[in-house]
Amino acid sequence: MTIDLAYVLELVLNGLMLGLLYALIAVGLALIFGVLQIVNFAHGELMMLGSFTMALLLPLFGLSYWPSLAMAVIVTALVGAAFYQFFLSRVEQTEFERSILITLGLSMVLLYGAQYIFSATPRMVDTSWGFEGIEIGAIRMTWTRITGGAVALVAFAALYVLLKWTQLGRAMRAVAQNREAALMVGLKPRVVSRNAVTLAAGLCGLAGGALAPIQLVQPGMGQAVIFKAFALVIIAGLGNIPGAIATSLALGMLESWIGGFYDMVWQEGSVFVIMIVAIILRPEGLFQARGMRVG
Amino acid sequence: MSARPALELTALTAGYRDVPIIHDISLALAPGSITTLIGGNGAGKSTLLRAIYGTNRWFSGQIVYRGEDIHALEPSERLRRGIAFVPQGRCNFPSMSVAENLKLGCYTLAARLHRPRIDRVLSLFPMLRTKWSSAAGNLSGGEQQVLEIAMVLVTEPSLLLLDEPSLGLSPKMQAEVFAAVRDIAAHGVTALVVEQNVHGALLVSDTAVVMELGRKFMEGPAASVRDDPRIREAYLGGNIKETIEA
Ligand SMILES: Nc1ncnc2c1ncn2[C@@H]1O[C@H](COP(=O)(O)OP(=O)(O)OP(=O)(O)O)[C@@H](O)[C@H]1O
Ligand SMILES: [Mg+2]
Repeated sequence: MTIDLAYVLELVLNGLMLGLLYALIAVGLALIFGVLQIVNFAHGELMMLGSFTMALLLPLFGLSYWPSLAMAVIVTALVGAAFYQFFLSRVEQTEFERSILITLGLSMVLLYGAQYIFSATPRMVDTSWGFEGIEIGAIRMTWTRITGGAVALVAFAALYVLLKWTQLGRAMRAVAQNREAALMVGLKPRVVSRNAVTLAAGLCGLAGGALAPIQLVQPGMGQAVIFKAFALVIIAGLGNIPGAIATSLALGMLESWIGGFYDMVWQEGSVFVIMIVAIILRPEGLFQARGMRVG
Repeated sequence: MSARPALELTALTAGYRDVPIIHDISLALAPGSITTLIGGNGAGKSTLLRAIYGTNRWFSGQIVYRGEDIHALEPSERLRRGIAFVPQGRCNFPSMSVAENLKLGCYTLAARLHRPRIDRVLSLFPMLRTKWSSAAGNLSGGEQQVLEIAMVLVTEPSLLLLDEPSLGLSPKMQAEVFAAVRDIAAHGVTALVVEQNVHGALLVSDTAVVMELGRKFMEGPAASVRDDPRIREAYLGGNIKETIEA
């Protein structure tokens, strides 16, 4: 068997793009877990919401990509903020089970609500770019994929700046590291939590919006991604953002490679095999929860 | 003592969720004074400080600060009004640098004040300048305690609540913390300090309050509380080493 170099490169590029979009989801999960100590089971559905917003708005905006993507981010972020305000803000730190039920509940409502309204039929989403793209030698990438990866990269850069250098982001890390100290310096944990959920939801909207023209859009798309994202966040250590980004990239790459050379089954299963191995070999990845850091 | 008290508690009852822990506490702190709060384990000292700052549950009574009953205000609001609280045990952001911890200390301040306020605490505690980029979690216990005090001093509080600031510190470091508290009070800040080093604390304070089982048990000038036979027996021991003769 001869391996075509262009094909391998194409797999790598696609893997990177996929990994970057996974990372947006995983980072949001890590952020919410870090700040609120809540595992958000509705995270995948927030992404799905972003995809549907994109799919529905594109025709309204004459298929133009950017305004639709911006609206997908805004709509999803607002849904996240409302979800925090009405539900999550009522959950106490110690009520872990309640938080699971509430986020699972939202996940179900969004999933079946979308099925009811839009049916489960997958839909293709078209943008004004169509299938145009760039070709370098034998390698071909569509604009939607290139843009998806670029948008994710810009989002990470912005997230890094926010968490590292602004009081807004520092406050999120602060609440994640020590709630009592956060109160000592005059932070309001509820406001910080609301900001974190809104930001994480916005990242879901961005990922969902960017994925819409790349993958088929359907109500169940969040479910497929969320379990991978959980696996990623666990492999990286809960609440560990740089770790989540690194593992997401590795996973996207791995999936793309396995998908390129082996059966689909392996592609879907590989992340979970890795998660189990990672947990066994490096349990601190899993149990770091207490000493968690965001950023 | 003719001036209006910096803080006046009237029949304060507070605790956690549905359990009141401290009962019927009345107390007045003179402006610029240092008051030491002593009492056995579980007496409710930390609960009292938390109630003054607002991080636990208020049940009844008044907490009057500058003529205003503040019991319904959030902690961040009390901080903005000039009340600062450094809780017991390590209370900083361990994986952030000293610089970032101090910047978070400035959270309630306008941006233009951050630089000058941080510079002021750095001149008060030069040690922090040498540890500027170290992670707070890598500092020694005493250094972390100093950092935590500095994190609230940037707000230039007028009432400072410190919960066992000398806990786990070396005698030398303890003396430094006591000296710092005295220095802060000399600038007009009122301090309420919980101390297990009763002897050292009583030497640097003006007033002492003794709590037992959630109630105020005794109150008076530090010197007279120190000489009270019951206090000598319970906290000072017969043969305590008088090492921290300030
Ligand atoms: N978060 C909490 N929830 C419920 N009860 C608490 C909580 N914190 C403290 N208590 C209870 O309140 C009582 C007083 O505790 P507190 O911490 O105020 O005592 P303390 O005088 O500060 O003791 P120490 O010298 O050990 O610090 C104890 O019986 C304790 O069990
Ligand atoms: Mg205590």
